[in-house]
Amino acid sequence: MPSEIITLQLGQCGNQIGFEFWKRLCMEHGISPSGVLEDFATEGMDRKDVFFYQADDDHYIPRAVLLDLEPRVINTIMGSSYAKLYNPENVYLSKHGGGAGNNWASGYSQGEKLQEEIFDIIDREADGSDSLEGFILCHSIAGGTGSGMGSFIMERLADRYPKKLIQTFSVFPNQDEISDVVVQPYNSLLTLRRLTSAADSVVVLDNTALNRIACDRLHIQNPSFSQINNLVSTIMSVSTTTLRYPSYMNNNLIGLMASLIPTPQLHFLMTGYTPLTSASDVNNQQTVNIRKTTVLDVMRRLLQPKNMMVSTGPDKTNHHCYISILNIIQGEVDPSQVHKSLQRIRDRKMAQFIPWGPTSIQVALSRSSPYVQSNHRVSGLMLANHTSINSLFERALNQYDKLRKRGAFLDQFRREDIFKDDLNELDESRETVDSLVQEYEAATRSDYMHYSFKRAQGDSKSEDAKSGGDH
Amino acid sequence: MSNENVGSKAQGQDPPTPVHYITMLLSNICLSINGPQRAEEHDRLVNNALKSIMENPNSLNEGRPTMCEDDCVIKILNILNAKANPNGKKEQMPGNVFLKTYTKLLKLDTDEKQREALMNFLLDILDNEQSTFLRPTTLMANGKDGGGDGHKDFLREVLSERLSPSYPYRKQQNGGSESSERVAYSYDPGQSIAGLGQVQMPNYTDQLLNQQDVDETLDIVTNVLFSFTGIQGKFLRKDVVTGRFKLDTANTNLLTTGDAGLMLRLSELGYYHDRVAEFADPSKGYSALGCMGQALTCFLRKELGAYHGEVALLHDQVNDFKKAQVKRSFVDREQEWLDSQREQVTLFKLLVWYTKPLHRMQWLTKIAHSCMMKKGGELTSVVWDFLDNGHPAVDKLVIDLLTAMCRPLTRMISQWMLDGDITDLHNEFFVESLTDIGPDRLWHDKFRVRTAMQPKFIGQELADKILRTGKSINFLREVCEMNELVKGQGELKNIMESNAGDIFSYTQDTKWHAAIEICYQNTAKHVLDYMVGPHKLLEHLQCMRRYLLLGQGDFVSIFIEHMKDELEKPGTEIFAHDLSAMLDTALRCTNAQYDDPEILNHLDVVAQPPFLGDTGWDIVSLQYVVQGPLATMLEPTMSTYKALFKPLWRMKHMEFVLSTKIWKEQMTNGKKLRKMNAEIGKASYKLHLFTSEIMHFIHQMQYYVLFEVIECNWVELQKQMQQATGLDEILDAHEKFLETITVGCFINSVTDKERHLETVFENIIALEIWQASFYKDCFKEQNARDDLEKKIAASEEEGRFGVTTEEKMERDQERKMFEQKLIIACRGLSDISCAYEKAVSGFMMCLNSSEDPQLQLFGTRLDFNEFYKKRDTNLSKPLTFEHMRMSNVYNSNKNSSTGSRFVINSQASLSPAM
Repeated sequence: MPSEIITLQLGQCGNQIGFEFWKRLCMEHGISPSGVLEDFATEGMDRKDVFFYQADDDHYIPRAVLLDLEPRVINTIMGSSYAKLYNPENVYLSKHGGGAGNNWASGYSQGEKLQEEIFDIIDREADGSDSLEGFILCHSIAGGTGSGMGSFIMERLADRYPKKLIQTFSVFPNQDEISDVVVQPYNSLLTLRRLTSAADSVVVLDNTALNRIACDRLHIQNPSFSQINNLVSTIMSVSTTTLRYPSYMNNNLIGLMASLIPTPQLHFLMTGYTPLTSASDVNNQQTVNIRKTTVLDVMRRLLQPKNMMVSTGPDKTNHHCYISILNIIQGEVDPSQVHKSLQRIRDRKMAQFIPWGPTSIQVALSRSSPYVQSNHRVSGLMLANHTSINSLFERALNQYDKLRKRGAFLDQFRREDIFKDDLNELDESRETVDSLVQEYEAATRSDYMHYSFKRAQGDSKSEDAKSGGDH
Repeated sequence: MSNENVGSKAQGQDPPTPVHYITMLLSNICLSINGPQRAEEHDRLVNNALKSIMENPNSLNEGRPTMCEDDCVIKILNILNAKANPNGKKEQMPGNVFLKTYTKLLKLDTDEKQREALMNFLLDILDNEQSTFLRPTTLMANGKDGGGDGHKDFLREVLSERLSPSYPYRKQQNGGSESSERVAYSYDPGQSIAGLGQVQMPNYTDQLLNQQDVDETLDIVTNVLFSFTGIQGKFLRKDVVTGRFKLDTANTNLLTTGDAGLMLRLSELGYYHDRVAEFADPSKGYSALGCMGQALTCFLRKELGAYHGEVALLHDQVNDFKKAQVKRSFVDREQEWLDSQREQVTLFKLLVWYTKPLHRMQWLTKIAHSCMMKKGGELTSVVWDFLDNGHPAVDKLVIDLLTAMCRPLTRMISQWMLDGDITDLHNEFFVESLTDIGPDRLWHDKFRVRTAMQPKFIGQELADKILRTGKSINFLREVCEMNELVKGQGELKNIMESNAGDIFSYTQDTKWHAAIEICYQNTAKHVLDYMVGPHKLLEHLQCMRRYLLLGQGDFVSIFIEHMKDELEKPGTEIFAHDLSAMLDTALRCTNAQYDDPEILNHLDVVAQPPFLGDTGWDIVSLQYVVQGPLATMLEPTMSTYKALFKPLWRMKHMEFVLSTKIWKEQMTNGKKLRKMNAEIGKASYKLHLFTSEIMHFIHQMQYYVLFEVIECNWVELQKQMQQATGLDEILDAHEKFLETITVGCFINSVTDKERHLETVFENIIALEIWQASFYKDCFKEQNARDDLEKKIAASEEEGRFGVTTEEKMERDQERKMFEQKLIIACRGLSDISCAYEKAVSGFMMCLNSSEDPQLQLFGTRLDFNEFYKKRDTNLSKPLTFEHMRMSNVYNSNKNSSTGSRFVINSQASLSPAM
């Protein structure tokens, strides 16, 4: 079947959000937890074949590969009512089950060791699809398995499937609370390097912002993982809705990404969603304090930072700007309202855009699932490429620098093969992330056209230095 | 010939007849023979004598030697005077009385011979005292001859006068034949004679004088009455040129001025009668044409008939009066009978009478004149205009007339609306069927409203309804082969045909209009149900929107994905049968598989005959094949769909090239070529940004066309289709939809907009080709370097120096060549981007200076962050008022091509890698 997408779930976090994502997809497509089409579901409305395939006995099976180095989350999944949904062959648990110990290097090395088994699964899955479009990777960048093994798999995928796209849903750690993972800055930085170089597009899910949104917008004092993951699954499902409910445009991953990502490096996307309601609100039938929802309201609210799922640092100089925006609007929308809203936003200059190229707010009207009752007339998801995302990377750099200066916690890294000789990997990663920060910074300026020159020079110097050393 | 007959010739002009004079002469002689006696006796004798003369006119001269008339008269006078009482006054002498009477007789044009005979006869009576004529059995002539010398002189005078050539009676005799045709109205002498036997004659002279006056008046009246029906008479003759009546100059002197004026006034009616009669006679060529014209002519004839009746009544009245006059002279006893008779008809009475018919005739003339040579709806429109008249009589007249004329029209309408037939020999119905158009174009072209024949009182909307109803009937019968047509047909037909007068009502709430409405709605619903139901019209429209107008994005992209190899082949190598297999695959792959296969069967992929240099992209297109009733409905729009498909397909092509080829290659090759970033970094960076710029443009473009133009209008169309009560509403809405999106889809290839757009597209293709060769060179170079490094590494392991000098030289040479190629490639990219930017600027300029607000808005949204505006300051000009005044700003812009920002300072980019 056409334009298939294979989802890879890595590590504790990746499997959790993946689980939520599939639950959501099943609900939207009218597929029961055991994979059978519900009686009320009718064919012809949606395209299930992007994410599911049909087994011989008419079961819908997700194109999902579940990978983890420790059994806890996967066991939970396999113990749930959705156990029969997945193809058991696609669930891979490391034999020794010890996990990666929140160590990127450990995850990376284990990935390397297990790559044959893992890629057996992935290859089989890829062979089973007519024209595979790409992979979606769910993971967190802070832990061990998702970040380390995820990084390794990303690199391998880019080599093995050079013509396929790699999109990730990457969960960034919460900055507001002190993490129990002390090497988190190292893990993040190392993963960020792979995300920059190997992935084609990264949807950043910032736990900081998710928690904040849960507290501020949903009024949950201590948001649980499942509540946060509910938010994440909403974002994941809506961002793929144009693939699953096709209409005139944006019906494939490449179409979605191509217009959002101008240069290969600037592929970190923020998301925003409105209106936000928690599950409890829906259950209690309490009407949340959401003002009337028109297209304009939705689009305007999407431009407000408080609805963004990424918490960026305060933009003191107010120079950050949108590189591109795609709004996916669902619900009862009068099409003619869309361009009126766009015109209004433009006239009021509600959003600041890059000065160096043409860009605009793209709008995709999408149908939504008839089986999921929404208590909102109109809802919208924004996928945005915004330069302020570099504050996230800057923060990661700062934390890394603090840790690195002290040379703390490096021992456990040195134990792994990749750091056996030196810690170059860390330095190179820092350089890559730094150049990314610089590039995002440069993208705010109108002379971005000439930025590459400087960078290329910088790169070439290092290359020169390297090649000089070789000779 | 008898005297009476001779006299009757002049009767028409001169009422006193010879018989009177003869009677007088006889009575005179009788008096002189028998002397005064009882009146009864006298009358009896005179009558007897007269009778015998009448009965045997020729007996007068039997066997008698005839004397000259003059001698006879002289002798008679002598005898009479001799017999006369010498004491009597001169005037009362019988001779003088006789002479007076005789001269009067002379004035009449009587036959000389007969008169001579008469005189001889009278003389004979006088001479022969024994004659039984005028003599009572016991009667003795006691008269004596009296001296009459003076009389002799007088008589001679009279006689000589008679012999003079100026004597008028010859002339009269010649002209007499003309009036002979009016015998029917002439005074019948027999009538008066009939009564003579019983009636005692009163004072003859007075009576005769009175009678003469009455006759003259009646003569004028009769003349006027003739003129009422357009017949010329003694006094009134028609003008040859104008046809109006005028007084006959020959007889004017017989009329008083007042009478003459009155007659002229009255004769006007005759003129209008003539005009109406003219219009009512189709052979004259002035009448209206066609069935409705016939109705008009008929109506005119009926009017004329009624009018003739009235005139005839008047005639009767005149004749009755005349009879009465004559009878009154003789029949005094039957007074009651006389009283019951009409009054005398005078000119003044006619004047009173004539106003009403004159008015009517005038209006009829007016109407008929404006209807001259017209037919059908035009004719009724003309008559309908006369309804705007405050005069109730005219209003009534026009309503009657129009009702009569609309009867054929309503019949035609009912036949058309109920049976779908047109019986229209004179081409006067406002619905026209084009015979040379077959059933395949029945719905759109076969029938149309003949605007010239559309009556004013049938509005455009109503006419359309009528047209559609009949068209629907025809459609159902001929295309759908259904025979069960309108319910309650008979009743409707009855209402429609029996209420002809309702058709021109000012308010459309009559029975007739209601029947039309019912008929229209029933038929429309019937057709609608038929098309929407068994023929799935809406589903077909939906299908065309989804597949031909690319509403089903996933289908199109998969279709392209499947066909991409075919599409890139030269056009000559493409075969339609391969394509249909691919279409089927694409349909099976997507949600289209759940669509009604019956509808999908209509979808077809075709390859047009290729021109030189065409690739598959240029010639392959999707088409929709319709048959049967659907074809009748949708065939005319198919060409629009074809035209629409082309730019949409072209845009999809561009999107495909941009995203699947250019962008994806960049992303994937970028990873591989990371090592070469030093050399190609600059170029590929420009390439990325250039691509993203084009990407934005194409995406916005596609978004605008697919969403704002097609989707927005489609939603509108769907609403209208849901609400539609008739098929035409759907089709009209559909046509309007196509029209709107045709404007929005940049189909027209002649305007600047589309030319610029085409340049943009060409540059995208150029970029694709450029990029392919660029990456090819890059990979070649990179592979060469990799090989060298491997070689070095291998040789190092063997423990000898890696490369020979020649190899190094060769490598350096290749590297130099690569750098040269890179410079050339950069120039190529600059050229492409320059051309692209120029085209986009031109396109933006067109949008901004467009008069269509939609396009202007699109222009501003395409330039959402005002990037283009900053780059090209000319772009903001069209939005100023200054520009409106100086529209040549645009032309100046054409020449101002600024250098592209993607021009690469190639020397700087190629910093030596070593």
